[in-house]
Amino acid sequence: MNNVRLLSVENLNVEFSTSDGVVHAVNDVSFSVHSGKTLGIVGESGSGKSVTASSILKLNTGITASTSGSILFNGKNILGVDDKAIRAIRGSEIAMIFQDPLSALNPYYTIGSQIIEAYKVHHKGVKKKEARKIALEMLHRVGIPNPEARIDEYPHQFSGGMRQRIVIATALINSPKLLIADEPTTALDVTVQAQILDLMKDIQRENGMAIILITHDLGVVAETCDDVAVMYGGRIVEKASVQELFVTPTHPYSFGLLGAVRSLDNSARGELQTIAGSPPSLLNLPSGCSFLPRCSYADASRQQCASFVPPLQNVLPTNSLSACHLRAEALNVLKIKEPS
Amino acid sequence: MSAKVGTPLFYSPLSYLRIALITFIARRLLFALVLLAAVSLFTYLLFALLPTDPAALTCGKNCKPELIEANRVRLGYDKPIHEQYFQFVKGIFTGRTYGTGDIAFTCPAPSLGYSFNQHECVSSLIGKTFPVTAFLSLGAFILWMLLGVGTGTLAALHRGKWQDRLTSVITSIGVSLPTFYVGLLVLFSVVIWLQWLPFPHYASPSENLHDFLTAMILPWITLAVLSAASYTRITRNGVLEAMNEDFVRFGVAKGLKNRTVIRKYVLRAALIPIVTIAGLDFAALLGGAIVTESVFSLPGMGRLAIRSVTDSDLPVLVGTTLVAAVFIVMANTIVDIIYGILDPRVRLK
Amino acid sequence: MKRRIIGLLGLALSASLIASACGSDSSSSSDTAASTDTLAIPGTDSSTPTAGGTIHILSQLEQITHLDPQRNYTGSDLAFVGSTMQRALTSYAYAPGSAGSQLVGDLATDTGTPTEGGKVWSFTLRGGATYEDGSEVTCADIAYGTSRVFATDIIVDGPTYAISYLDIPQDADGNSNYPGPYTATADQQALFDKAVSCSEDGKTITFTLSRIVADFNYTVTLLAFSPVPKAKDTGEKYDMAPVSSGPYKIESYEPGKSLVLVRNENWSKASDPIRNAYADSFVYEFALDPAVIDERLMADAGDDQYAVGDGGLQPENLQTVFTDDRFKDRRQDDYDPYVSFTAFNVKTVSCVEVRRAVYLGLDREALRTAGGGPYTGDFADGFVKPALADDYAPSKLPEGLNTDGTPNIESAKAALAEAKTKCPDVYAKATVEGLKFFHPDTPIWQKLVSIWIESLKAVGIVIKPTAVEPSKYYPTVQNEETDYDISRGAWGPDWPNASTMIPELFLTTGGFNLTRNGDDPAYKQFETDTKAALNELDRKAQGKKWQALNQFLVDQLWSIPGTFTKAQDLWGSKVGNAYRWSSSGSFLFGELYVKQ
Repeated sequence: MNNVRLLSVENLNVEFSTSDGVVHAVNDVSFSVHSGKTLGIVGESGSGKSVTASSILKLNTGITASTSGSILFNGKNILGVDDKAIRAIRGSEIAMIFQDPLSALNPYYTIGSQIIEAYKVHHKGVKKKEARKIALEMLHRVGIPNPEARIDEYPHQFSGGMRQRIVIATALINSPKLLIADEPTTALDVTVQAQILDLMKDIQRENGMAIILITHDLGVVAETCDDVAVMYGGRIVEKASVQELFVTPTHPYSFGLLGAVRSLDNSARGELQTIAGSPPSLLNLPSGCSFLPRCSYADASRQQCASFVPPLQNVLPTNSLSACHLRAEALNVLKIKEPS
Repeated sequence: MSAKVGTPLFYSPLSYLRIALITFIARRLLFALVLLAAVSLFTYLLFALLPTDPAALTCGKNCKPELIEANRVRLGYDKPIHEQYFQFVKGIFTGRTYGTGDIAFTCPAPSLGYSFNQHECVSSLIGKTFPVTAFLSLGAFILWMLLGVGTGTLAALHRGKWQDRLTSVITSIGVSLPTFYVGLLVLFSVVIWLQWLPFPHYASPSENLHDFLTAMILPWITLAVLSAASYTRITRNGVLEAMNEDFVRFGVAKGLKNRTVIRKYVLRAALIPIVTIAGLDFAALLGGAIVTESVFSLPGMGRLAIRSVTDSDLPVLVGTTLVAAVFIVMANTIVDIIYGILDPRVRLK
Repeated sequence: MKRRIIGLLGLALSASLIASACGSDSSSSSDTAASTDTLAIPGTDSSTPTAGGTIHILSQLEQITHLDPQRNYTGSDLAFVGSTMQRALTSYAYAPGSAGSQLVGDLATDTGTPTEGGKVWSFTLRGGATYEDGSEVTCADIAYGTSRVFATDIIVDGPTYAISYLDIPQDADGNSNYPGPYTATADQQALFDKAVSCSEDGKTITFTLSRIVADFNYTVTLLAFSPVPKAKDTGEKYDMAPVSSGPYKIESYEPGKSLVLVRNENWSKASDPIRNAYADSFVYEFALDPAVIDERLMADAGDDQYAVGDGGLQPENLQTVFTDDRFKDRRQDDYDPYVSFTAFNVKTVSCVEVRRAVYLGLDREALRTAGGGPYTGDFADGFVKPALADDYAPSKLPEGLNTDGTPNIESAKAALAEAKTKCPDVYAKATVEGLKFFHPDTPIWQKLVSIWIESLKAVGIVIKPTAVEPSKYYPTVQNEETDYDISRGAWGPDWPNASTMIPELFLTTGGFNLTRNGDDPAYKQFETDTKAALNELDRKAQGKKWQALNQFLVDQLWSIPGTFTKAQDLWGSKVGNAYRWSSSGSFLFGELYVKQ
């Protein structure tokens, strides 16, 4: 079941019209995910990574959002299906979990009823008792101790880590083919983070599902992902295997991110340090490369960088794709300049 | 995935929760009782300490001092205040007999005193007027909740569209209008100018449902429209806020229908703050919708209270004030309990 | 007693009543007095009354204050209950204008026969009158009804003339030895039966009084002397369901909602020369907002075409009603029974020249305008209203008083100059120390007080105002201890005889004397003349005496006449006989009819 191309996103654009103007949240984004594999989408807040993820479940269909491009899931274009069909996919074939386990569970219902609800919505006619049994199994699987005693408790009676386990249990109750995890460990403390990531990897090994892991934490990426897409200003600026990204980053933004991680005394778990300057406003994207204002490598090609949006292209000798006007040699030179 | 279900259920979490809820409710009720005792004492003292002589108010224009003194003894106003209060409280539970012999008269429990102006037990006056106020309040309450929550939700779901803008304009007008003028305007236009309805003559629903409805419909609408305005606002903001909650997005991501998400996730969250305000507003209304009752000539408790003020009918004034205060305390308690039921985080704290 | 009702009405309902507690001029008020008789009387028209239909009475009140005849004591209620359900020995003629103060027999064949100079009064019963159950109204019932007045712990709020007039011994405190029919012993009952007795044949009732009461036949117009069948008396509860002796009876009565009267089939017109009873029924609608009443009457739609109000128009609607011709046939702007006045404390302001200076210098027109303008009333020329036709005569007002109510500074200063030599103490008090003016603490009075201060400052008189909480105002100024120089009030007659005005306002024993005039040199003369008038049995001659006394009062200026107050009404287009009955100052409700 591995290496089946499960999801393929082509030329995705998402815009929001606001009273201030049109926000170009996602621009011309393409990537694919294979069964059994984990794709990391990395970027700062506002880079468009969460919006991209939400698009896959058509969760951006607010009145002001407009989406174009194509999202093929199992050969079906998700952007083209109606409400009913997307509901059938949500939670069943593609599940999603969110950043804050404290707020992802409905505080007014017991955790059991929320898991059962998630099961029953895709298994009409199943008796409550049976659904409850399945929920108990799932809670057990995600490591909730004594689930029989706790299934009728409310979310606030659980710790943050336990809640994220419950969220995962809810998401995985229907054995989805794809799990989109939007910053699943950000709100948790470090030891719990590792447990949750291990849990996700364990389950992936068991059932071969694909995972899209959205994070701004390169440490998490290093531990979990097979492939990585680095997003900046609503675009993918680098796509690479996790090994290549860490060994031979091909985009100045990726250098920056990695440099920040490395400076933290080899600790791969370090929080992402911000690169000098701030991310661009998606309301008024600069023409040309949106990273240019923060790029310390663009001296030679500044004219070009300012005028044209760099296309994603292969940077030999790696297999990585990078959206940068600088050529590989230049990149290598500059990599040496990188402070240690 | 071969997980095993754990040990059998020797320990039922359900009963634990039930016990938690019951303790919570018991605690609230106990607190309410203490509060009620304090409120009754405060109300009684407030009026007892007025410079007005309650005995002097008991007889008419051609009163003789002996009669005033006789009434003072009959009504117990000759006793020290703490004893008067004790008698008053005792009367609530056991009823109270005033005077002795031929001229004695009894107000059965719950006795709140005797009105010399109206020659009736205060509790029976309140008993007669309260149903009117209760019907008025209840109808208006249901109407305004439906209207307020309905339009508020609608506006939020159509945020920024014409439905939202229209609602916003109407509510801004609604919240700033005074009840008295709206009531008069509604009455004048529907009844007097257009004559779509006969002039309202209140009858209890059991004696004449038609009269009851024609008398109630305009006050209901007046109160509902005015109150609904602020509820529309609160609901709209609450719904918008709730729609941004992660658990709402998680609900959608589970594949739930929109309707289910709005009902179970959005409204549930958005309505909780409304419960508090609604409970208190409703209680305040039960204490007497003075203006509405006056404009629409409804023989309710608000008018009884106002009349007791103009007539210096102290026992009725104490009685109505106390009943209104009881409603507020009760509403607070009920709101707390509903809060506890709606939001498990409150009850299990 | 009645003063309290009127006084409070004045404070609560009609700011104007108290607003213009000051002066008048002879010419303008004699004009208005004349107009009452010569001009068409409002509310009357040429159409012939017809029987049938339902008259609606729209009321702000929660209920009729008292339906029990012995407890009924306000003008409007007396007119309503008297004209519909309760007959009395005598009554005023059911007629508009001054004819309405004419005394006529009701249950009695005539207006009674005084003997022993007016100490014993006999009334011969007409006979044939019946209650709603068909039983006959007897002399004993009238005596019994009268006896109920003495049960002052149950029969409260009513007039107590029976107690003060009847020849029944009283104890040292002035309490009657007769405690009323409910608790009286045989001996005590005998005391009453001696004072009020029926002849053998039951055709004549005789009242023996403790002193001469020349107008006792007016007293018995009060329903306190109406019959109550002893067997049907329910004491305190009688108030809710009295037995009718008039043309209508109660069908339903729910305080706060309505009172419905229907025809009393056992009433016969043959026994009742006064009442015409045109309408088939009356619906008294209670607890209406005054703004709603006015709007319904103006809209004149549906049943409201057959409606009248019982409380007059709201000030804010007067302009509309009296300028729009739509209302011209169904509105009236006419006197109510009251006279307003400003009282001096004659003990401290013991100098008539100072009192006159105040009268002359006060800007009465500004006060009236601030209080609501001409709708509030005409400047009074004394303390007797023209409606008391026998007792009223235009009086001669002080030299120099401006007829339009504006101040005459010159004359006022001249009067003050006279005072300087005649009574230097009072002069000094008025010009230097200041006159203490007690007024109710209401928004309107805060305005009026500044007019008082400013207009008298121009004369050289200093006014020192003291505001009194409105509900405490009358108790305060009636308290002998209260140290005021000037106060104010309003008063209406209990029956159309100045005997209920002049003695009440100016005898030291009067019910509403704010002047403390007992030590004034002129008082002895006044007291003698007043007692003579009270004892005068010839009504015309008595009237002349009141006229002279009224002039005497205007000369003494113990009080300054204020206004003859007015009230305004509007009624439905199909209501006939909507005139203001002078004896009650209200509609004569029972005579209203539905125009076909």
